[in-house]
Amino acid sequence: MLVKNYIIKRLLLGLMVLFGVILITFFLTRVIPSNPAAQWVGPRATPEQIQQATVELGLDKPIYIQFIKYFKDLLSGNLGYSLRSKQPVINELKTYLPPTLELIFMSTILAVVIGIPLGVNAAKKKDKALDHFCRFFSVGAVSLPTFWVALFLQLIFYRWLDLLPLGGQLDTRIKMLYEIPDYTGFLFLDSLLSGNWVVIKDVFSHMILPAVTIALYPIGLVARMTRSALLEILSEDYIKAARSYGLKERLVLWRYALKNSLGTTVTVLALSIGYTLVNTFLVEAIFSWPGIGSYIATAVVALDYPAIMGVTLFSAFSYILLNLTADIIIALDPRVRV
Amino acid sequence: MEVFRLMKRKLSLLLVFILLTGVLAGCGGGDVSDDPSPQDEVEIAYYAYNSEPILNWDPSVMFSNGIIVLNNIYETLLRFDPKTKEFDYLLAEDYSVSEDGLTWTFNLREGVKFHDGTEMTAEDVKFSIDRTMELGKGASYIWAAVSEIVAVDDYTVEFKLSYPSPLDLVASSPYAAFIMSKDAVENAEENWFENANEAGSGPYMLESAAMGDEVIMTTFEDYWNGWEGDHFDKVIIKKTSETSSRRQMIEKGDADITQSLPSEDVEALKETDGVEIVVEPSFTNLIGFFNTEKQPLDNPKVRQALSYAFPYQDVVDYAVGGYAKQSIGVIPFGHWGHSDDLFQYTKDLDKAKELLDEAGIQDGELKLLLTYMSGDESEKKSAELYKAELSKIGVELEIRAMPWETQWEMAMNEDPAERQDIFIMYWWPDTSSPYSWLYSLYHSEEEILFNMSYYSNEEFDTIIDNAAEISGTDIEKAEEEFIKAQEILIEDSPSIFMYDKEEVWAINSTFKGFEYNPSYPLVVFFYDTYRSK
Repeated sequence: MLVKNYIIKRLLLGLMVLFGVILITFFLTRVIPSNPAAQWVGPRATPEQIQQATVELGLDKPIYIQFIKYFKDLLSGNLGYSLRSKQPVINELKTYLPPTLELIFMSTILAVVIGIPLGVNAAKKKDKALDHFCRFFSVGAVSLPTFWVALFLQLIFYRWLDLLPLGGQLDTRIKMLYEIPDYTGFLFLDSLLSGNWVVIKDVFSHMILPAVTIALYPIGLVARMTRSALLEILSEDYIKAARSYGLKERLVLWRYALKNSLGTTVTVLALSIGYTLVNTFLVEAIFSWPGIGSYIATAVVALDYPAIMGVTLFSAFSYILLNLTADIIIALDPRVRV
Repeated sequence: MEVFRLMKRKLSLLLVFILLTGVLAGCGGGDVSDDPSPQDEVEIAYYAYNSEPILNWDPSVMFSNGIIVLNNIYETLLRFDPKTKEFDYLLAEDYSVSEDGLTWTFNLREGVKFHDGTEMTAEDVKFSIDRTMELGKGASYIWAAVSEIVAVDDYTVEFKLSYPSPLDLVASSPYAAFIMSKDAVENAEENWFENANEAGSGPYMLESAAMGDEVIMTTFEDYWNGWEGDHFDKVIIKKTSETSSRRQMIEKGDADITQSLPSEDVEALKETDGVEIVVEPSFTNLIGFFNTEKQPLDNPKVRQALSYAFPYQDVVDYAVGGYAKQSIGVIPFGHWGHSDDLFQYTKDLDKAKELLDEAGIQDGELKLLLTYMSGDESEKKSAELYKAELSKIGVELEIRAMPWETQWEMAMNEDPAERQDIFIMYWWPDTSSPYSWLYSLYHSEEEILFNMSYYSNEEFDTIIDNAAEISGTDIEKAEEEFIKAQEILIEDSPSIFMYDKEEVWAINSTFKGFEYNPSYPLVVFFYDTYRSK
């Protein structure tokens, strides 16, 4: 019961934060000196065209009325029209979101598959060579600038070794030769479902570099967190007891100790996904990945405020959702439950 | 229970195995294109473009990057060749103009098919231009002189004008002059263009488009000029915003053609085998407009002094990496109406100081505000170099970067004192006529639009208006008049004519047939190109 109340409380709080974000971003994008109507009609518009666009976009009305209209539209799922492409922002998000989600999904898997074993083994071999390597790797992974890593990987794997493609999500030639069905909108999933190995290979090879680049930060974080959480638990009495029963060390480590440390790791992981989302903004631009990051990068430069707001709202929403998930995971832990 | 655990272990092993094989398979991804496939003989051209290839598919409305796509899919009646000052006949076979310059008659090419299979007639031409004018968006204003379009018979169209205007130049404009299939557009469902569809007659058809990312085009079998000789079967135009990516793709031969590379990359590519660097004039020039309605800039002497203080050569060398020329007059090199004989200011600080003294300006008295479009590195560097020179003659320059709209709004302020002192802006022609610069930038305006010097000179206005009227019938005479008008401008110096930009192309050496036509900025006419190994 208590958990339920807690979750409801967090949900309401999340909604309030979301409203705050809408309010702030709306007014911020309006305070920035720019003329959306002039942008809407393009660089060489006549005054009549601009005047017409001002009315068309409702910019002649007082700002609070504009906000009420924006909010109303928002509730019905309408995020307005991009000033650059004149397309509904919601449609653009639908186009650009799946590639980004795929990337985040892949990098999260990498973080779990690489980060956790790394952390466990570092804890096991505390102060040995492996532990030092893990520390070195994690600190490096967290602190190296993402854009540098991205360019460096491109130079090695595309330019020098010629193993992986430079960027994009799919080789255009492959796309022209093979029919790729659109079941889900997620290219990787669709290619898997199509069962066409050439396409699967190509899509996968395009994903490796950006996914690894983005995964570095969560890998480092997860490894460090797993290690420190494990070390703490390994000094607990029940572990000593387990060991004194003569249980195999592997069993103690991976089954009893790791399970208890996972709460922290998962929380950190959930929060780092939020960071990953922001990180993709930079990485996507470098890898020409047709995702939300490339989209916002161009939108910001062009001051395309409906698009900026759309992405900001999405990011805020994801952050709140991830925080909520982390909170719930903690709340479900019987040790935390009061 | 034990069995279950065992299974779990096996399953996780299997998962790791699958992942590993996946990685290995992925590593082989680079040679996918070597896979034998029936379409191996298909020749594909690849244009790595620095921005979105196209955002608006409506040929009546699009007034931006999209010309690089639409000029391969659609055609205009004529195409202007600035090198010869003559027209290539596309959809029109010839044309004539009445003596008063008010009636233009175009004879259309017979047997031209649109991509939807219908045949082009005068009705389509009338429909296309009428539609563009009615929508009134984008560059539709280029047709402002047209009062009526008459389809005389199937292959004759008559344009009636309310005042003389060079309609041949208008009809060859890179924007808003495309001819589309009336049948296809009239029967189209709502948002047809928005959802990436086309109704052109050009050599290439749209095959597929990923919004804001890439466009794939394929040959149109029934193209009126036929497919004899070497051509590309397919064309890819793809957004590649990272300069390092564009450079690497050209180096490796993955892309055939690209532009907008930083000068360091251009220098490196010059040394690369299999890559050619081609430098072409562009019709874009950078101009610094003085606020001539504000003291002391209302004094021509002060403006001349400031023109003498501009470090032209340094700007060309350091702000644009040498890929530009100091302007002579306001019309760029290579464009008709340009004359090398016009007076050219050079940096001469003594002369500048002398002129300032004559105007009674004391050392340290003059403080100026310069605005430029934020994000433009060349404008920024030019402004900073200028600031350094001005400080030597006791003029203080404040530089402010602003988003385009904001900068523009400031320039339109009702109170001249509230506006900037120097406004930096690029200009490029919408129709290939000197009038595009001279009228838009220096003709008296009742409401401020692009005349950022607020320049107003009746004599100048009369000369360019007359020149524009006769440019449809007597281009040589018009050119003389446009040059005469520039003499007035240079004397009055309402602006600093900074530099004419050059376009630097990096091209794969197997990519042949490309000839840049600066009247169509950054357009590659792929029909003319082919691969030769």
